[in-house]
This record gives sequence, structure tokens and C-alpha cells, in this order.
Amino acid sequence: MTTSTNPGFVTNLLQLPRNAWRSLFRNPLPSSDLGRSQTSFSNFFLHIHPVKTHVNTLRPTYTLGLGMAALSLFVVLVITGMLLMFYYVPSVEQAHNRMLDLRGTVAFGSLLRNMHRWSAHGMVAVVFLHLCRVFFTGSYKAPREFNWVLGVVLLLLTFFLSFTGYLLPWDQLAYWAITVGTAIAGYAPFVGEQMRFVLLGDRIVGQEALIRFYVLHVAVLPAVLTTLIAVHFWRIRKDGGLSRPEDSNFPESQPAYPQAIAAKLEGLAPLAKTQKTKTFGVLGMVRGPFSKIGNTPDNTVYSWPNLFLGELFCFAVTVLGVLVVSLLFAAPLEAPADPTHPPNPSKAPWYFLGLQEMVSYSAFWGGIGIPTLMVLGLILLPYLDRSPKGVGVWFSRERLLAVTLFILFVLTNLVLIIIGTFFRGPNWSLVLPW
Amino acid sequence: MTVSTERIQDRAATVTRRRALALTSVFGLLGAGVVAGLSNLLFFRPRVTYGEPSRFRIGKPEAFPLGTRLPMTRQRVTIIRTAAGIAAISNTCTHLGCVVATTDVGFACPCHGSRFDPDGSVLGGPAPRPLSWFELSLSPNGEVEVDTSKPVPQGSYLKV
Repeated sequence: MTTSTNPGFVTNLLQLPRNAWRSLFRNPLPSSDLGRSQTSFSNFFLHIHPVKTHVNTLRPTYTLGLGMAALSLFVVLVITGMLLMFYYVPSVEQAHNRMLDLRGTVAFGSLLRNMHRWSAHGMVAVVFLHLCRVFFTGSYKAPREFNWVLGVVLLLLTFFLSFTGYLLPWDQLAYWAITVGTAIAGYAPFVGEQMRFVLLGDRIVGQEALIRFYVLHVAVLPAVLTTLIAVHFWRIRKDGGLSRPEDSNFPESQPAYPQAIAAKLEGLAPLAKTQKTKTFGVLGMVRGPFSKIGNTPDNTVYSWPNLFLGELFCFAVTVLGVLVVSLLFAAPLEAPADPTHPPNPSKAPWYFLGLQEMVSYSAFWGGIGIPTLMVLGLILLPYLDRSPKGVGVWFSRERLLAVTLFILFVLTNLVLIIIGTFFRGPNWSLVLPW
Repeated sequence: MTVSTERIQDRAATVTRRRALALTSVFGLLGAGVVAGLSNLLFFRPRVTYGEPSRFRIGKPEAFPLGTRLPMTRQRVTIIRTAAGIAAISNTCTHLGCVVATTDVGFACPCHGSRFDPDGSVLGGPAPRPLSWFELSLSPNGEVEVDTSKPVPQGSYLKV
């Protein structure tokens, strides 16, 4: 080994950009399989993904990119939300004026508010569509039961985040939507009125409700949501990646073992053909006593660039969609909140209009009974439907009953929301929207 | 190589001590968590509210001649005066919390079409309950005081 001499200050100075860059990115862009396999190990942000990804995960027609789109919308919401916080003041005197300022004086204020508003609506819709995708592909089945439960909780948190944000502009729409929305919560037996009082901090929506909703919206709920999103992603990997059809691991074109070994194993249990007797180090083991190295049939591709590019594209399309919608449509802003004059009709946010429609028939069942049963049903679903059939296929014929019931469930909600949104006029009487 | 009994006992003592410390910590923190959780319930339930006060004075009884129906929009009550006395009826719709308007036949909610008679009983629409009546009292200075935190049965008048 040669003794290294100090190259001298001038040389150091000249080499500073290159050395700084190299200390930041230790590895060059991968050009070999070795390099591609090291991306997940050497980069903090990339190590969220495994080195290799199953090809089924990369099929756009399988996932529709809905999970990634939901995450993208959340990222857009966090960024635009933080920017809006620099100008927003959660006070009943100032909030609405600040909305007008965003529109009138703040550079890009309108665009940011539009992006935040439309992304929020979009996230509610996309998270629900993601739930539908996971149902229709049977992806909630073992071993992914708990990740489904987490997903349902994430959907509820998304609702609550959107709902708390709804009040902040402090216009007529916001004020009466929250009045109506929290009144629905007040129908819960025994605790309803207390719950409403604690949520609003007063008997009616006012300054206390505004500051409470603000803190929930900008601090509490985003923190909880971020944590649970992390757990949700972590569990995807621990549950063996995204769901896929059972036989997709054993494509005939790519036998797990060379023919010679396969012949020797003939007659043994089918599983044994895929397992060597030698165990590897801890790093090689993910689940079970056998290493995955060389034991799993290789129907996987390197995550870099395949998966990362797919996700990048999904993110780009989502951001593009938000931008286009935000440039074309302005987020609504009505007259300042007037606690003495409700608009006719007063409507909750659109995703609660199905509830409001049901409440107009029966306050308790529409507002509390049926929604509770729906949420409980969703949470318990993977523990009630334990048949392992039809995983990884859209609308599997083996799950005809489950798929039909779920389509009915989705359609019922959709129809109720559409009636509440478009077909209810003054005094909540039926009207034609055209 | 032999292990002395003393060492084994030492080891047992260590494990017990560690176990005791762990159990104390776990249950101590659990207890603290439960107490903190319950305290938070108290914390989040405000003892005073900063909005419209629930108790307010509306003036001397003489200010309300027979047949008065006076909606007070800010406080969300309507003061009525009949031969039986004075009463305060809530203007908050029992359906979804909108403010009802006073009409010729009683009250009507603009939000979802609930209708009430002059006493607040439901005439139609989705409202599940009649409008609340609130407790009235005479304050020491002779003014009538309304307490919207204390509902009273329909037909409870303050005799004047």
C-alpha cells in the first residue's frame, strides 16, 4: 500500500465539487444488475422497495396505480397545505378575509388553494377506489388481512381530514356543512351530544370549533395518517409484496430448478422442489426457515428502474391531473359564514351526502346505525371471508357472491350520494338537476 | 467446568429483579396512560365556552306584551308571551342543527323542510323531536333570564 500524501489545498479546492457529489451519492447510476440490486441498500429513500419486484405488481391493469395516486395526492396536499398555512389565520374574524387575500393578492394563492381543494376531494375518491380495487382482486385475504384493516382506517382518516379542512375557509358552505355534519354525529346514542360538544368546543359552530378543526387538520390527523401510511407500506413488504395469482410464481417458461435437480426431486412433496436444504444467513431469510436466494422461481425484475419508473410516472400523471383541474376550475368560496342564516338547502360535504340522504329518512339509522355497520363490515371482512380462492384476479368467478355484494354496496352508496348531491333542492325536496 | 450454585442464584435474582423492573414499568406506564387518557377527556371538554353565553337577560317582563313572538337570531331562541306567561323556544332545528325561521303557522327549517307549530311540535319533515323549551327565571334586578343549557318540558311558562 502506498502512503497517500495530502494533495494540497488547491487540488482539494478544485476537486471539491466532485468529492462533495461523491460523498452525497456513493454509487453511480446503476448500469449493471449488481448496481441495480444495490440501489435499495445504498439509498435511504429507495430502500422502501425490495431489490426485485414481481412482474404482476408492475401490471398497470392490475393495480391501476391507485395506491400510488393516493400517496401522490397526499404529498401534493402536504406541500400545498404547508404553503397555505403561511397565510391562513384560524380566526372567525380573519379566516374568510384570508381566503379573499389568497385569491386577490397572494402570488399563486388561487392556484395553491385550488390544488389543495381538488386534491382533497380527489384523495377521498382515489382512496375509496383503491379500496374497491383491493376488494375486487381479493387482495385482503390471508396474509394481508390486517393491511386491509389499516386501509379502512386510512380511509376513515382521509374522510376526517377532509371534513376538518372543510370548515377552515369559514364561508357559508363551510359553516353549514360542518353544522349539518356534526349534527349527524350528534345522533349517536348516549355519547352523541357529548361527542359533538367536545368536537366543537361549544354548542354551535364558532371560534372554538374553528381552532379545534384547524389543529386537527394541520397537526394531529396528518401525523397519524403519515404514521399509518408508513405501517401500511411496511406491511405490504412483510406480507410478501402485492397480491398476485397463486400460480404466477411458477411460470412454465422459468422453472425454479434446472431440469436435472427437478428430476431427482420427482416424487417428493411439491413444495420441496422449491426448497433447498441449505439455509443462508439471516439476510437471505425473509420468512420461514429457507432462504429465498435461488429458491424462489424468478418471475421478478429489478425494482430499479422498473418499479421506480412506474411510480414516478404515476406520480407525474397525478400531479398533472391536479394541475390541469386546478387551472381550469376555481375552488368555490361563498359569502362569509353567517350563523343566523342557513342557506337552503344546507348540505354536508359530498362524501357525507349519502349519510345525509339516509338521515332524511331515519336520523338514527341513517346517521349512525348503517354507517357503523358498514365500517364494521369492512373491518371484519377479511376475517369473515377466509376462502383463499380468487386472489390476484379481478372479479374472479370463484368469488361471484362476494363481488356481487360489494358492487351492490358501492352502487348503493354512489346512488345515495348522487341523489343527495344533485337531486335535493330547497327544503330537501326532490328536484331535477337540469 | 462447574457452575457454582451461588452464580445460578445470582442469575435468578437478576432475572427476577429485571422482571420486576419491567413489570413495574409496563404497568406504571399503562396506569399513567389510562389516567392521561381520562384527563384528556376532561381537558377537551371545555368548562367555559367563548361563544354566545348560554345564560342571558332579555329585559323586564313588561317589555313582552301579550301575544309577543320575538325571534332573537343571535341567541337562537324565540321569546313568546301568552296568557300563561313567558317562554323561550329554541330556534335550532332538532334535525340537523339549522336555524329555523318564524312563520305564520309556527317555525320552518330552510335546510331540510321540517315544520313546527307555534309551540315547537313537529308538523312535518324529518325533524325527530319538537323544538326545545328553555328554563326562564327572574333575576334579582327584575329582568327575565334565559338559560339555554337547561331544557324544560314543552309548556313550561314563567308566570309573570
